[in-house]
Amino acid sequence: MSLASVSQVRPLPDAATAPAILKLTDIEKIYQTKTIETVALNRVNLTIGKGEFVSIMGPSGCGKSTLLSIIGLLDEPTSGTVEIDGRPVAAYSDRELAALRNQKIGFVFQSYHLINDLSVLDNVELPLLYRSGVGGKERQQRALAALDKVGLSARTNHFPSQLSGGQRQRVAIARALAGGPELILADEPTGNLDSVMGEEIMDLLLTLNREDGVTIVMVTHDEHQAQKTERVIRFFDGSQVS
Amino acid sequence: MLRHLFTLIWNRKQANALLISEIFFSFVVLFGVGAVLITAARNFLAPHGFDYDQVWRLEVRAGQNRKMPRAELDDVLRQVQAVPGVRMVALTSGNVPFIFNTNNSVFEYQGKKSPVTNYYHADDQYNQVMRLHLREGRWFAPIDDGSHHRPVVISQDLRESLFGNGPALGKIFTWENPGKDPINYQDQFLVTGVVDPVRMESDFSAPIPSMWQRLLPYDTTHWETANVLVRVAPGSAGELQEKIARTVAGVTRQWTSQVRVINDERLHRRRYTLVPVVGLCIIGLFLIVNGALGLFGVLWYNISQRRAEIGLRRAMGATGAGIGWQFLGEMMVVTTFGVLLGGMLAAQFPLLHAFNLPAQPYLMAIGAAAAAVYAITAICAWQPSRLAAAIQPAVALREE
Ligand SMILES: Nc1ncnc2c1ncn2[C@@H]1O[C@H](COP(=O)(O)OP(=O)(O)OP(=O)(O)O)[C@@H](O)[C@H]1O
Ligand SMILES: [Mg+2]
Repeated sequence: MSLASVSQVRPLPDAATAPAILKLTDIEKIYQTKTIETVALNRVNLTIGKGEFVSIMGPSGCGKSTLLSIIGLLDEPTSGTVEIDGRPVAAYSDRELAALRNQKIGFVFQSYHLINDLSVLDNVELPLLYRSGVGGKERQQRALAALDKVGLSARTNHFPSQLSGGQRQRVAIARALAGGPELILADEPTGNLDSVMGEEIMDLLLTLNREDGVTIVMVTHDEHQAQKTERVIRFFDGSQVS
Repeated sequence: MLRHLFTLIWNRKQANALLISEIFFSFVVLFGVGAVLITAARNFLAPHGFDYDQVWRLEVRAGQNRKMPRAELDDVLRQVQAVPGVRMVALTSGNVPFIFNTNNSVFEYQGKKSPVTNYYHADDQYNQVMRLHLREGRWFAPIDDGSHHRPVVISQDLRESLFGNGPALGKIFTWENPGKDPINYQDQFLVTGVVDPVRMESDFSAPIPSMWQRLLPYDTTHWETANVLVRVAPGSAGELQEKIARTVAGVTRQWTSQVRVINDERLHRRRYTLVPVVGLCIIGLFLIVNGALGLFGVLWYNISQRRAEIGLRRAMGATGAGIGWQFLGEMMVVTTFGVLLGGMLAAQFPLLHAFNLPAQPYLMAIGAAAAAVYAITAICAWQPSRLAAAIQPAVALREE
């Protein structure tokens, strides 16, 4: 291993034996454009146990977002297998994949991806809109509760364009929380927040992980935050280095 | 989900206003073209109200500035009637069916005015040749000779405009604005019969209120040309035409004659009136294709602008098919607004009885235009949203 490992593994008593929620085997992702071929991920092997809080670090362009997309079933690897709950993703139908994304996974995107034509509340309700058996009232209650957690109760009727970058990021986090997912994939969730707000969000994620047993995979550039998580995975040029 | 769609549509009202106006104009154009075509088709399929098969038109000319003695004319009619193959001859005015020649006027009964009405002269044999469909009363006959008024037969539409549901037979009407002076007996029209509406202009023309006045000896005194309708035996051909012409020449050398087949005139006239109909079809088709391409362009642009949204919705758990349905649903709601706006405009036509047409073809045109607009937007929205939904969510999300 060429880079010094600074990962600090702090396993919970049963983390090592916990069943894997996610298993990546020999994942390769190659972006093919007309002129060049970019290897975004190179033979990545990774197992994440139920209830773990993992942070991913690495320089810009090393493939962190690409990895999260593949874990979040938004993209397919060029080769290798992704297993969710012990079942290879390739075996799922389009409908089943959609259901997995909807019920199991909450995604916080690096660039938020809010729908500008929808109010904050409507944006946060979105994952519940695609879930059968959730009525309008319940949807709204759960969305409001999620917005309360990120401190945006006063902005529910605003539109994304009327919010600051940090506020948008918190809306994106609230949206990921609203669906009550087992697995949260957060791509630099505190990248646009001041340190106080960043700490609050970090505490929120830690609470979710510890009290509700939510598995979290978080990309971060903040060494301090990474140290608070159970495991740090480091990437360099598409390869896992620790 | 429907509420979500409405929220989204409302919040995107600026982009949607453009689409709605595009749909509105497409609808109005389709409605206009549809109304004309449906009217033409309905006319085409409607009965003519008389039987033009085996009817010929014999035109007899006395020559420039030369009057026709009635005795000689009667001789011509008698001799032609006697030709084998000729079933019946009838004397009429120059406005025979399917030629560019009309006489029209407005009539009045107790202050009630008719619409513009075609009027024809006809003798007692006319209906045996033309076979109009009598609904009430009878055709003229020799017993009308002693009448103190001019006997007439009117079409059902004229009857409705002058007499409504009241009795018509035996009633007397006149030209419009008869004035205070006493009216000549030949200008007092006594209704002896009512026939079905007739379409004598062309295969595509609408029924026109019509009146047949009984020819009086007085009418023919100034004639230089006589128009004779001849019903011939089925299968008669050019040979009989020549025989008839020779018969006329046999009565008097000075007169000339010409025999034409009414059905040929009909086909000739149809070619003539088909030109604007076909022209309109082509323009309509052009406008429809143009409108569809415009809509397709606007929708394609709209949807490609929303690829990131599509990626996000898929990340949130929408299936590819679900995205397709959502966009289709959105466009259908937007289309409904455009169609409702256009429909409100189009509904004025049947409400105001525009161009004196019945409401039904307008309503059919509204239905047809709405169906066409929905089909076009469905096709135009389906393809781009299907393509957009087929791409990997991660790829769609990267586009912002
Ligand atoms: N659609 C694409 N086509 C071609 N190359 C791509 C594409 N998406 C990503 N890449 C390349 O893949 C590599 C990894 O990108 P990725 O977004 O995963 O990086 P990252 O680690 O998230 O960086 P950052 O910290 O800046 O967000 C980069 O070199 C990038 O240029
Ligand atoms: Mg990234």
